[in-house]
Amino acid sequence: MKEFKLNTIPKIESGFKTPEDAYFEKFSANLLEQLPKNEPKTVSLFQKRKTIIMMVAAVFVLALAIPSLLNNASRSNEIDTTTLENYISYQSNVNQYDLINELDEEDISNINITSNIALEDTTIEDILVTNNNLEYYITE
Amino acid sequence: MLDEKEFIQQLLNPKTQNEAFQQLLHTYQKPLYNHIRNIVLNHDDTDDVLQNTFIKVFQNLKNFKGESKLFSWMYRIATNEALTFLNQKAKKSGISSETLQNKAIDNLKADVYFDGNEIQIALHKAIATLPEKQQLVFKMKYFEELKYEEISEILGTSVGALKASYHHAVKKIEALLSTN
Repeated sequence: MKEFKLNTIPKIESGFKTPEDAYFEKFSANLLEQLPKNEPKTVSLFQKRKTIIMMVAAVFVLALAIPSLLNNASRSNEIDTTTLENYISYQSNVNQYDLINELDEEDISNINITSNIALEDTTIEDILVTNNNLEYYITE
Repeated sequence: MLDEKEFIQQLLNPKTQNEAFQQLLHTYQKPLYNHIRNIVLNHDDTDDVLQNTFIKVFQNLKNFKGESKLFSWMYRIATNEALTFLNQKAKKSGISSETLQNKAIDNLKADVYFDGNEIQIALHKAIATLPEKQQLVFKMKYFEELKYEEISEILGTSVGALKASYHHAVKKIEALLSTN
């Protein structure tokens, strides 16, 4: 068997023929037609107006939101119940008598209806025994 | 051709791009045709791959950082396009890449752009049995006569590894052709 050596024999060409120039001319022309064109970027009139419309809309929304924002701010200035209680208890000169004087019959009946104070008899008795002044409050 | 950096600037500038790209086409279309033809073997397929290659080159010019030469960057794109084309065609036909190449080689006798003889056809059949990387290295070194440094830049493989691949390819081809 004859040993085949690529180095010792004349070089074997691939056998592929390069096409004639006309092929490449046609190829170039076809290719250049297919390439994307570099056109300047256009901004539509609507696109420009869209920004202005959005700005105007934002101003309207802001204008509508201002009253409710102010309202919230003023509400936050109102004194809540806990603060009021603390003030009456520790800071003011209002005493128990003043408070009792301020209550009328309707207020007392409202307290009885709205507050579910469940006091057992033994608890009431204990309170009456330990507090000497209660009799005075009741008469008042 | 102009200094490469200057030429790339012309390719990127919209005002000079068209003229510069025509020059690029004129310079590289023949060598790239031969490179792709050696991989895909068939003229019509080469035409498609060459077209895709230049379109990809045009689309990616803005991403070309100049880290490698324009020549090796374009050859790399052409190689990837050709290999992708071959693999997709084989997958579509439900056959291996080697079978696909053998079919193409069998059809070469009827190809107007092929004037080879029996030895050349036997050589192509022997090459088709090699692994993909060895085929590429052999074709680029033996047929296209590219330098190892150039092949290294195109394939991203060290010169040493390329020399080893070429040596193995030559041995296998010689063994195959000796038995036939």
